[in-house]
Formats: sequence, structure tokens, C-alpha cells
Amino acid sequence: MDRRRLIKQSGAVAAGAAIATHLPNVTVAAAAQDAATLQFWDTLNAEPRLTMIEELGTTFGEANGVTVEHRGWTLEELQDTLPRSVDSNQGPAVAQVNNGENLAGPMIRGGQLVDLTPYIAEYQWDTLLPPSLAARCSFSADGTVFGEGQLWGIPSESEIVGFYYNKTVFADNGLTIPTTFAELETLLQALVDAGITPIVFGNSERWPAIHLFGEIHGTLATAEYLDGIVYRREGATFDDPTMVEAATKLVEWKDNGFLIDGFEGLTADDAAALFQTGEGALMLQGSWQAPAVKTDLAENAGFFLMPPVEAGGKVLNVGGVAIPYSITTNAADPDLAAAFINNLVSQEAFDAWIEAGGLPAGVITPDKIVADTVDGDLYTAWNTALESDSLGHYLDWAAPGFYDELTGQLQNLLGGQMQPAEFATALQTFYASTFTV
Amino acid sequence: MHQPSLSSTLDSAVEAKLVSTASRSGRRSREAWEPYLYLLPAFIVFTIFVAVPVAGTVILSLTAWNGISWDTAEFIALENYTTAFRDDAFWSSLGNNLKLLPYFVILPAVLGLIPAVIVHQAKIRGAKIFQAGLFLPYIMPGVLIGVVWKWLLNPVFGPVNDLLERLGLPTRTWLGDFTWALPTVGLIGAWAAYGFCFVVFIAGLQKISTELYEAARLDGANGWQEFRAVSLPGLKREIAVVLSINLIGALRAFDVIRATTEGGPGFETRVLALYMIDVAFNANRAGYGSALAVLLAIVTLILSGIVLKLFGANDD
Repeated sequence: MDRRRLIKQSGAVAAGAAIATHLPNVTVAAAAQDAATLQFWDTLNAEPRLTMIEELGTTFGEANGVTVEHRGWTLEELQDTLPRSVDSNQGPAVAQVNNGENLAGPMIRGGQLVDLTPYIAEYQWDTLLPPSLAARCSFSADGTVFGEGQLWGIPSESEIVGFYYNKTVFADNGLTIPTTFAELETLLQALVDAGITPIVFGNSERWPAIHLFGEIHGTLATAEYLDGIVYRREGATFDDPTMVEAATKLVEWKDNGFLIDGFEGLTADDAAALFQTGEGALMLQGSWQAPAVKTDLAENAGFFLMPPVEAGGKVLNVGGVAIPYSITTNAADPDLAAAFINNLVSQEAFDAWIEAGGLPAGVITPDKIVADTVDGDLYTAWNTALESDSLGHYLDWAAPGFYDELTGQLQNLLGGQMQPAEFATALQTFYASTFTV
Repeated sequence: MHQPSLSSTLDSAVEAKLVSTASRSGRRSREAWEPYLYLLPAFIVFTIFVAVPVAGTVILSLTAWNGISWDTAEFIALENYTTAFRDDAFWSSLGNNLKLLPYFVILPAVLGLIPAVIVHQAKIRGAKIFQAGLFLPYIMPGVLIGVVWKWLLNPVFGPVNDLLERLGLPTRTWLGDFTWALPTVGLIGAWAAYGFCFVVFIAGLQKISTELYEAARLDGANGWQEFRAVSLPGLKREIAVVLSINLIGALRAFDVIRATTEGGPGFETRVLALYMIDVAFNANRAGYGSALAVLLAIVTLILSGIVLKLFGANDD
């Protein structure tokens, strides 16, 4: 009898005992899970996603004779709470576990997650995502090597960053969607010349610059390079010509007036509010912004991906899968938890995601794509990116704590406090230090 | 009638004495432990919420622990401390704390002292409402203060820049500018803290004998001289209290900065508490984060001690 089967048949007490072999100092009697209840935690804490995910949970619960309890946290709260709850056997059966060294790596090393590899064949999860995206949910069995080995999570949603554009501004100025990076820069300059803010952008919360820089860098970098950085492969370095070139371009864009004045003091929400009320021509944002853009600008908005350096070329767009769902070792019934995760990537769930304005983690069927709408543009772009396997990474996945370093150094770069080469070196210095602590 | 014998009388007397002694001894013993009983609830709360976490933090600071799973904890003695001394980010964060001291410590004290003296000496009508208004910022949560000021200082649609523009004055991206971010955060912090200083000073001024002011006036002292010769010396203890509490607040500053700049632009406003949280929870280095917390506590104790020494709060 394998361990999963044993846990399933023995209920909560046996689960506690089994978990206790991995987690010393836990009290078996304190096990939060029992076979009749399935708790899941994620970052869906606001409407319409909250209702959507809870309805999916309820439907699954009714079909399987269990009570499904959902708790939606902010990402930060979830990151802080989840591993400590699982460590004290008070965690949920299923939870969103942030990729890479953000959380997945440490939790795998701490024996807190269940390997999903045995379920791949049963649920055909290998056909769900291209290998490059599945790699983002993979770690070696001991949790030390990211991007390969066992599967530890399955995402339900995906995300991609690109340009939202104001169709009226484009039409009034005779502009068309650029097909190359050079055309994009020509378009941005034309907007400056016309006295129109080219890119509405707010970076006071620091993370938006990761997207802007990442998109520019994605036109220059190869998948091997980005994988090397994010999966922390030997020889990977930020001291790279593509990093310096992208940093130089970012500063050039700022100096040319391609970014809205005062972006340093605007939040992403401020920028979105400005763009959605007609300010500027473009906004670089993630797919999650589409419902709000659609609400405010309706048919006046469109979406396109960062154009490549050469027509027909490839850009590694910032984005990929949203935070994957994993099974924790607190799960009383891992098989049931796996079935629950599979329910989150069913066609029914994908339809619910689209209904809620989200981007499901798989190919979007043509019947859901309405031409000449912002979400239609977005779904087409997503399918194209999936098909061509042209999704890059969030650079802050590269190391624990790298988010703070990257965002800080990007502000230094944009604030003229350092040169592009110094920027690349500073990132590399921090990155290298994370291999020794 | 039966007469008690001498021996039985003596026995009774001895018994009574013994009972009395036992009773007194019981009372004495009760008197001895009773105060401790009253202290017990506070002691339990203190132990659970202060002593144990402090001891835990000190112990964790001696480990390399990722904050996620106990299995990964490893005792490394003082290595986290030596790492901190070599860590540029630690020194720059501590440096930012020190740069903020004039704003978070001195400025609120001055801003609290001026209206306190005016209210006290001028006997303004409606002073109570005035006092309540001045105290208001202090009772607002730091995060709320940060959010409100961030909106006020918004470079595109914030009222501050709008007003400056209307007055023909230059505008700035206050919280995103490398020159202005730290002073701006400092001024927000000062605004948040001066209400407390004001209340402490008002209370202090009210306990200064009115005879001293009358004597000063008889000697022909004007308002400024009254302030220098009577109010200021009389407020010595209050000044020490205000500076110490402001200092502790400045060194553990977190909420206002987190809500306004998140430590940016770059690392210009990243203070030690912010760095500590980043290290412990974002970089999964809870052991090192604990060491930073201990170092922050030591710095706070040293600087508070200096303030109390300088202003002689322990003098009778």
C-alpha cells in the first residue's frame, strides 16, 4: 500500500502520523484536515474571482461528498502564513505556492509539499502546458534544482504582459500596431511629437518596472539565457550584454519622454486610472488589467504584445502561469486534493475564468474570442504566445529576496543614480551572494 | 462550678498564643505573596508576548533558518552578526534611520512644543477643540497616514502639486525623487508624531507652578523670557520622555515608509525595520532577520540611554 493510499484510508489521525514523519514537533491531534473537509487557500480574494473559485469548490465538493472550504489571502499574507501553518499541521490540503525560490523551493525542501508526478498520467497534465511552462512548476525531488524534475504544482490561471492601447488616439494620429521594436519606438516618438503621453506607467510600488524592463529585455534575450538565470544554472549571470542593452534602452525611453511625467510617484492603479480615463496612448500592464480596461474604455481599447526586433521574430514576453496550486503534506487525502486541482484546470474552470475576466492556463477555444475587443486581442495574443512558446520569466524569481534588489536597482537606474553597466553588475553581485547564504 | 486548673489555663493560653502566632504568620505569609499574585496576570502576559518572543528572537539570531521549516534551522553562533557588519544594505538602512532622526525626533518635539506653549500661555478660547485637532494625527494608523499623504502628494492629480502650481511654485514627484523622498517621508513622520509631543508638553506645562510665571512677570519678563526661564526648564522631564519615545519610534519606523515609498526610490528610504522584514520574509532568511532585529534593539537602547542621560530624566 503506498503512502498516499494509506493516508486516504486511514483518515486524519493517520495523516497526522504520516506527516509527523516529515514534520517533527507537530501534534497529531491538531491536524487541521479531515477526510470530509478539503481546505484550499489562494490569492483569489476579490470579486468576481472570489465567487468564481468558491463556486468551483462547491461544485466539486457536492460531486465528491466533501465540504470544500476556501480562503482567499493577499499574496504576501499567503506567503507568510502558508509554510508556517503547514509546519504546525494547521495548513490547507491545497494551496497556491509561489514558484521557484519564492516559496516552492523552501517548502519542498521542508517536506511540506506532495509530489504531483504520480498524477500526471491520470489527469493528462502533461498536455495542459508547453514544457517551458511546466518547468516553472517543477523542482528536483529534494527541492534544490528549479525548472526540472518532479511536478509540484498546477496553475489554473495564466498571465501575460503587453500593451493596452487607446484606439481613438491611434486613429486620430494615424498610428497602427507596430510589428517591430523599431516601429514601436517610431510610434512612441510620434506620440511625443504630437504632445501625447506615449506610455502611462506608475512605478511607486516598484514592481511595474520589472515588467517594463523585462519586456524590453525579452526582445533581446534567448530562452536559454532566461532559463539559466531563473533556474539558477551554473554560469548564469546578470553581467550580460542583453541586460546592459535593455537597461540602456529603458533609460533612453525615459529620457526621450516615452514614459509619463511623474511615473516615480504614481502607483500602477493610478496609471491604470489615468489610461482608462483617456490619458495617453499606451499602458504596459498584465492580462489581469483587461476587465477594468474593458469596463472603462469598452471597444475603444485593444491589446498587443511587445513587437520583436525583426518582423516575425520572437519576444520572450513577461508572463506565464499564475501561482500554481500544490498539495501540502497536511492533506488528509492527497488523491482527493489532486482531483480537486484537476477540477481547477477543467474546461468548466477555464470557462469560469474567462467569465470572470481571467486568462486560463491553457489554450483558449475560438468560440470565446470576439474580434476587435480588448479581451479578444488578449486571448489571441495568449494563444500565439503559447503556440510559439514565447513566454519569458519574471526576473524576480531568480533568487530569494531578489524582488527587493531588482526593484530598488531599477528605480536607481530610472532615477539616474547608476549607469546600465553598474545596474547589471549590482544585480549580479546580489544574485551571486544568494548562492552562498 | 468547675474551676480551671492552672495547667489547663496555661495550656489554653499557650494554645491561644500559638493560634494567634499561626494566624499572624499566615497573614504575614499571605502579605508576602499577595503582591506577586496581583502581578501575576501582567507577568504572564509579559512572559508570553514580550519575554518569550525576545528570547526566541535572540536564539533565532544565532541560527541560519529560512523561517519556513524547523528542519532547516542550523546553529551558526554569531555568524549572522558578522554578516550584518559586512552587509552594505544593513549600514545604508541604519544610515537612513539616522538621517530620519531630525525629522522623527527633533521636529515633532518642536512642532508639539510651540502650540503647547501658545495654548498654555495665551489661554486661547476653544483650546480643547484646538488640542483635540492637534492630537488627531497621532491616533491615526501609520499606514492610513501614509496612504493619505501619498494621495496628497500624487504628482499628477495630488492637491499639493496642484496648489503649488497655482501659486506658481515648482512641483516635484515628492515621494519618487531621490533628493526629496527622504525629507518628505521625514515630514510626514513628524506630522504623525507631533500630536503626542503636544499632549505631553501641555500636561507638563500645567504642572508648573503659576507662582513661577507670576514671579517672572513681576520681574518684567516677556513671553519669550517666561518660556526660556520657566517653561523650558520645567519641561525637562517631558522633553526627555518625548525625545526617547520619538527616538524609539524613529528607529522602528516602518508603517509610514512602507505605505509611502516602500523604501524607494532605489533604497533611499529603506530603513532597518523594512530591510529586516525583506530579509526575514521575502528572502527567507529568518535567522539573519532576527539578528538585524537584535541589532536594532541594541542601537535603540544605546541611543535612548544617551538621550535620557543628556536630559537627566532620572534626576529627582
